Amino acid sequence: MYHETRAADGADPGGAVILGHGVSKLFGGTVVALEGATFTVKPRQFISLVGPSGCGKSTLLRMIAGLIEPSSGSLHVHGDPVGKPRRDVGMMFQRPTLMAWRTVLENVLLPTELVRKVTAADRDHALELIELVGLKDFAYAFPSQLSGGMQQRASLARLLQTGADVLLLDEPFGALDEFTRERLNLELLRIVAQFGRTTLFVTHNIQEAIFLADEVFVMTPRPGRIAGIVEVPFERPRDISLMQTVPFNEMVAEVRGIFDRDNK
Amino acid sequence: MIARGAPGRKPARWMVLLDPVFLRRLATHVLIFTSFIAVWEWAGQTGRLNDLIMPAPSAIAAAIWRMYVVTGEIYWHFFVTMFEAVSGFVIGGVIGLGLAIGAALSLTFRRYVAPYAVALNVTPGIAVTPIFIAWFGFGWNSKIALAALIVFFPIFVNSLSGLLRVDRDTEELMRSLGASKMQTFFKLMLPNAAPMIFAGFKVAITTALVGAIVAEFASATEGIGIMMQRYAHRLDIAASIGVLISMALMGLLLFTLMEVADRRTVFWLRPERLEQVSRKRRRRLMALK
Amino acid sequence: MSDESIPGLSAEDGLTWRRVFNHLAILVAFLTVWEMLTVTGIADELLYPRPTLIIYSFYSLFIDQGIVWRHLWITMATVLSGFVVGTILGISLAVVAGLSETARRYMKPYIIVLEATPRIAIGPLMLAWLGFGFEAKLAIVTLVCFFAPFINTLTGFLSADEDQIELMRSLGASKWQILTKAMVPDAMPLIMAGIRLAMASALGGALVAEFISSNEGMGVLLNNLAAVLQMSAAFAALLTLTVLGFFLYRIMESLESWIIFWHHDDSMRRVARKRQTYWSKL
Ligand SMILES: Nc1ncnc2c1ncn2[C@@H]1O[C@H](COP(=O)(O)OP(=O)(O)OP(=O)(O)O)[C@@H](O)[C@H]1O
Ligand SMILES: [Mg+2]
Repeated sequence: MYHETRAADGADPGGAVILGHGVSKLFGGTVVALEGATFTVKPRQFISLVGPSGCGKSTLLRMIAGLIEPSSGSLHVHGDPVGKPRRDVGMMFQRPTLMAWRTVLENVLLPTELVRKVTAADRDHALELIELVGLKDFAYAFPSQLSGGMQQRASLARLLQTGADVLLLDEPFGALDEFTRERLNLELLRIVAQFGRTTLFVTHNIQEAIFLADEVFVMTPRPGRIAGIVEVPFERPRDISLMQTVPFNEMVAEVRGIFDRDNK
Repeated sequence: MIARGAPGRKPARWMVLLDPVFLRRLATHVLIFTSFIAVWEWAGQTGRLNDLIMPAPSAIAAAIWRMYVVTGEIYWHFFVTMFEAVSGFVIGGVIGLGLAIGAALSLTFRRYVAPYAVALNVTPGIAVTPIFIAWFGFGWNSKIALAALIVFFPIFVNSLSGLLRVDRDTEELMRSLGASKMQTFFKLMLPNAAPMIFAGFKVAITTALVGAIVAEFASATEGIGIMMQRYAHRLDIAASIGVLISMALMGLLLFTLMEVADRRTVFWLRPERLEQVSRKRRRRLMALK
Repeated sequence: MSDESIPGLSAEDGLTWRRVFNHLAILVAFLTVWEMLTVTGIADELLYPRPTLIIYSFYSLFIDQGIVWRHLWITMATVLSGFVVGTILGISLAVVAGLSETARRYMKPYIIVLEATPRIAIGPLMLAWLGFGFEAKLAIVTLVCFFAPFINTLTGFLSADEDQIELMRSLGASKWQILTKAMVPDAMPLIMAGIRLAMASALGGALVAEFISSNEGMGVLLNNLAAVLQMSAAFAALLTLTVLGFFLYRIMESLESWIIFWHHDDSMRRVARKRQTYWSKL
């Protein structure tokens, strides 16, 4: 289980939450999904992983979540080598993965239900989270009655209900339209800032990656690897207008440069 | 942000009776049906039909009246066949669903059960009738056994494919939440498979009826199948058709029961039921301590 | 008998030598236990014939006495002719009905009732109408084979892709072109599923017809053997039907992958090659 102090007294000196060293993953002995990823994620950092399809973003996330094991290299979360899924690491997918036979509230309560009997306090906590993600009036609606964006809000509330302090978001708003996505990104920033969680966010969109993150991991395919790590200096809280500024666009160009360099 | 099933009271079911389009269609249906019967009756009355082949509707109605009201002989036979079909369905269903669960949870089990399931599938189950009669006698048991045998496969195969059709992301979600195998099964796989399982049940329930009736044809002293057989042998076509209609009724009855169970269980695929369930759930969650 | 394969098993994770061996070992163990149970008299040999006796019965049914051939032939003839007639009837009626929305609407309630009716129950009536000959058997199998293709074809047309039809219209296609180039291919998988279901029930239908009527055919053979408690021979006849059923099933399977090639990877590749040569030779 999660220990507040673990990161400080763990194996690594910098107080890292996640520490990867030469992490590689092979599927079926031949497909190299990820090769030699070395990186550090510090507490409360917001990391964006950006890169084209097939560069191993999901693979990296699933390894951190303990869903699959690295083929080689070392990967530590809170000082422990990854192995099994853990309660302090939560994951959210591109599709809402809500259960159609549960109301929104029941879906949000699922993580609690799996470890103990649900109490009135759990319910009230879940209702607060549902309000936080903007679904106040839909706590008792079923997923099929919600729009795609609302379904993703619900699954975000479920992620928060786990109480995990490391949030892994795999293109959480990738299937939504531009407008909804932008809005949800802003809300995500607000929520993450409020809770002070460590976040890894996967996206295909360079602007989005930079706008959200403290650090951008730029990934390239064949074999999948982290080609560069770009630090994002902009102050928080950030506003959409940031995307129009010159420094922002210079940063976009810098990230693009990493892909172009890699293509040659 | 627009909810698709916007809240708000839906019009009551009976309101459809005020819908002119519905009324016109209903009237046309009734008109077609009655004119068909009328022409048929006219042909019978004027001697254009051979009574030994196709008796007039009034003759059939009289036969039905006789077996349901005058003698009342059909009720016992009706009950017997119904009992055989339902018992067979339950037995075959429990075995089919049980093996499907085993096969869904274990690849090894699935591998070893597969060839036998395939063999069972390609064998026309009905062919076993004579053997079952030798084994289980001329009474109800052989009918129940046959019904159980032929409902097994549709239930097994539908349940298994339902259980295996789990969304990969949702399964990973359960794992990332640290769910046990049992929890994953009961909270994800089983409800996820429910629509398919019921689809299998619905196919199977009519199949069970076929099994019971065919076994009765082959040898029996009671049941609606043997009743049919006797009338047909006597060339009492009107009564045979009466029994046939009763069989259709029985099939409809069993199918409707299954359909109702399906609607109640798999409520999430029935938009019109969501609000009611939602209210119930809200009450339950509010009562939580 | 329904018409589906076991889900969750792909061909490539099917057979290694080790697994074949395991399967055989289990089968042999099962048969040995059965044999022992009957030999020792724990199970009544009269009712549960010994596996070795069943094997011997195959020999006597097929070779020594050779009585099975005639029955097998008759049943096959009934099955195939009833299947062909019923399927063609079902599909063509559905096509005719499917063209008119009004016709579809007014047929719906009757179809629902007919679907829930145990169709085979009409068997004795058919006998009363047509006598105890081949005609009655053919009629029963035809009837059994009629519904699945009929209903599936109708459903296929009902759920036709509206956008595609719209597209065809915008290209100025005639009604006939829309039917043959859009609706039929679109409905084909469902139609094929109906045909496979028909085949799956045809054998059962023929057997029932034989149970209640005729004096020849596999149903009669089975009935007679079981009636005089020649159980080993009855089992051999039953297993013969299993093999027959298996072949019919495989035939339908390849027919399907041939017709609906776009659902099967290897058929798709084959057709793609053929089309390529066709178009380049043009
Ligand atoms: N279970 C698996 N078995 C075999 N290969 C896999 C498996 N999972 C992923 N791969 C392969 O590993 C590579 C990286 O996959 P991954 O899903 O991590 O990419 P991604 O960056 O998330 O792509 P996308 O943006 O499309 O989600 C791909 O080539 C993929 O085909
Ligand atoms: Mg991915």
